[in-house]
Amino acid sequence: MIAARGLLLSLFVVTVSSASGWAAGVKAKAEVSCAATAKPLEYDCAIKLSDARSGAALTGVEVTVGADMPSMPMAHNVKPVKATPGSEPGTYRAQIKLEMHGDWAVKVDLAGPVRDRIVKSMRFEPKP
Amino acid sequence: MDDHLTGILSNIGVISFVALSAYLLLLTGEISFGQQAFFAIGAYTAGIVTAMWQLPFWLGLGAGAAAGGAAALFVGLPTLRLHGLQFAIATLAFAEAVRILFELFRYQVVRDGEPVGPNGIEGFRNIRYIFEHDVSATQFMLIIYGLLGMTLFGFFLLERSRLGVAFRMIGQDGLLAAAQGVPVFRVKLMAACLAGAIAGLGGGLYAHLTTYVEPAIFDVMLGVHSLAYGLIGGLGTAFGPLLGVVIDIGLLESTRWFAGYRMIVFGGLVAVLLIVRPRGLLDERLVHRIRRLVSRRPPPAPTNAAVLGEEPS
Amino acid sequence: MIPFIQTTLDGLMVGSSYGLLALGFALIFGVMRRLNLSYGPSIMVGAYLGTLLYIQFGAPTYVVAIVAVAGSVMAGVYVERLCFAPLGVGAGVASMVSSFAIWMQLEQASLLMLPRHSYPFPSLTSGELLSVGPLVVRPDYLIMLAAMLAITAALHLLLYRTRFGLGLRAIIENSVAASLSGIDVRSTMLKAFALASAIGGVAGFLVLSANQQVTAMLGMWATLKGLIAMMIGGLGSIPGAIVGGLVLGVIEVHSQTLFGPQVRDLAAYGVLFVLLVLRPGGIFGTAAVSESAAHRGGDRWTTT
Repeated sequence: MIAARGLLLSLFVVTVSSASGWAAGVKAKAEVSCAATAKPLEYDCAIKLSDARSGAALTGVEVTVGADMPSMPMAHNVKPVKATPGSEPGTYRAQIKLEMHGDWAVKVDLAGPVRDRIVKSMRFEPKP
Repeated sequence: MDDHLTGILSNIGVISFVALSAYLLLLTGEISFGQQAFFAIGAYTAGIVTAMWQLPFWLGLGAGAAAGGAAALFVGLPTLRLHGLQFAIATLAFAEAVRILFELFRYQVVRDGEPVGPNGIEGFRNIRYIFEHDVSATQFMLIIYGLLGMTLFGFFLLERSRLGVAFRMIGQDGLLAAAQGVPVFRVKLMAACLAGAIAGLGGGLYAHLTTYVEPAIFDVMLGVHSLAYGLIGGLGTAFGPLLGVVIDIGLLESTRWFAGYRMIVFGGLVAVLLIVRPRGLLDERLVHRIRRLVSRRPPPAPTNAAVLGEEPS
Repeated sequence: MIPFIQTTLDGLMVGSSYGLLALGFALIFGVMRRLNLSYGPSIMVGAYLGTLLYIQFGAPTYVVAIVAVAGSVMAGVYVERLCFAPLGVGAGVASMVSSFAIWMQLEQASLLMLPRHSYPFPSLTSGELLSVGPLVVRPDYLIMLAAMLAITAALHLLLYRTRFGLGLRAIIENSVAASLSGIDVRSTMLKAFALASAIGGVAGFLVLSANQQVTAMLGMWATLKGLIAMMIGGLGSIPGAIVGGLVLGVIEVHSQTLFGPQVRDLAAYGVLFVLLVLRPGGIFGTAAVSESAAHRGGDRWTTT
């Protein structure tokens, strides 16, 4: 049965991969600040990535920024945007477009040399 | 595989668990607005087991499912005597109470110099098992679908078993079922327990997929959504709620050009769909017809509705 | 002793808004035997329309009130036509899920009108507190209590002194028999829906003017409070809705005073849960809801 095969395959994959990668990878720390742009619901986000243990800036990482509304999970999924490296090492910039104002969980996904995910809860309100 | 697509498919997989959970109870004729509570309990339990107690992933998932099932048993005992709206509101009250309890729940340990654990309203972050153990996004998606496949296989067996027939009998007419010797309360309790475990399993997967859960996620909206998926996709088969999830999340992704009007469009579509097909797309009659077309031997005994040739009402 | 009475009084005041919300729910449920999950959002649409006029055009308070109620009625009729009328008597769950889908729709439509989390709302009084002996009373809440009593009295008259009310009561009792007696069930249901939405609109307006602000949570809040109050008082029972609302208000305010705001909601849900388990019919309902009762004509709520 396809289901049983799929399960066996995934079990195999997990056991093999967890056996090889037992050492915990780099844990990243992120500081995220978003500023409103001229267009409503579009925000310019600056992300500063560092190693959570050593404090060193993380460079050369593929950063993708997405957002989700906690109160309606997946109902307002913002399309993930690739961030571009900023001027200083460990900084990245991304422009995100939200659907609504309110409380959002901003997801910073890291790939490349470091794989991690950091979630920041932020509130976005329109300018008075 | 494109990371974005993996993410969407993983979301669909995880939400399907809570949809199946509501569907199982719906089969026995009970509407539950509270399955999100077991989803939450599973998420928090699994997160605590892996992120705080540093135990293996499968143990965490198992604990999540077990916690979901146990909680469902605990709540089912007093509430399953109720019917209809009373039961539905009782489950809603329970789920909201659970959510508020998670807002008050604080339990943290220090790992790597930082506190990790549920922190009330701020939620539970850094459930980083799949990152710490180098499980790729695609691998995790396969795990999700492997487990989903197992669950669907379980439903497949259920539909063909006496228990499954008992479920649908109770769903059609509990009094008649009892008159025919079905131990209604016990069967309903079993259904509730299974449903709780399924939701708990899904919750554990969800927590590890997003690495972050907070009480706000598990609100009434999620509960009514999980109910809606079964109704939209159809109550004839376990693929119905899956179809509902795919339509909802799939449609949400594809109607991106509607931007701020997405809910308006989606809500309207669902309302119209339900006028045309009140029991969802894959309702019992359609499933019965498909089975008759597909199998060469006579199909298993159909439900009362299909036999009497009328819409269930 | 005095603080206890004061808290209870505050609870009764808050509870009168819950009672009105529950009244609308009870009307709809009593007549249609179905749950309208779009009830709160319909009120939200009306309230938001009123707020829009207030903010953009500085409309006077009575205009805001009229628009809030009218908007709520329009939204309610829209919901009835789309979710309840086309679906037959048996499809209870489908119409409920349909009303949920429209909840999402109405909520997003409202948020498109006014995207911020909260907006100011005109108030009815200057906000000065009245003193009645050692007790303190907020005039806005007093207006709410008075409105609740007035509406309840009016509803009672409507139900027991008019033909329309007679038809309503007949449908609540047994819709099949009612239609056989020549009552136009469909049009009466529509009118009942409109009436319930109007009552909800009034409740919404009064609560918002007492708080002087409207937030994006209005839809969910109104639905939940109305539902809980209705269940406490007794499913589908109209006097039960009022009593349930008052009881809910008193429980909430006492819990908040004793334990803080988070426990307030927890207490409300806890009481509701215990009440449902021990006495499913609510305060005014029957002690037990038997299986056969659930299968009465028109009452097939669970099985679609």
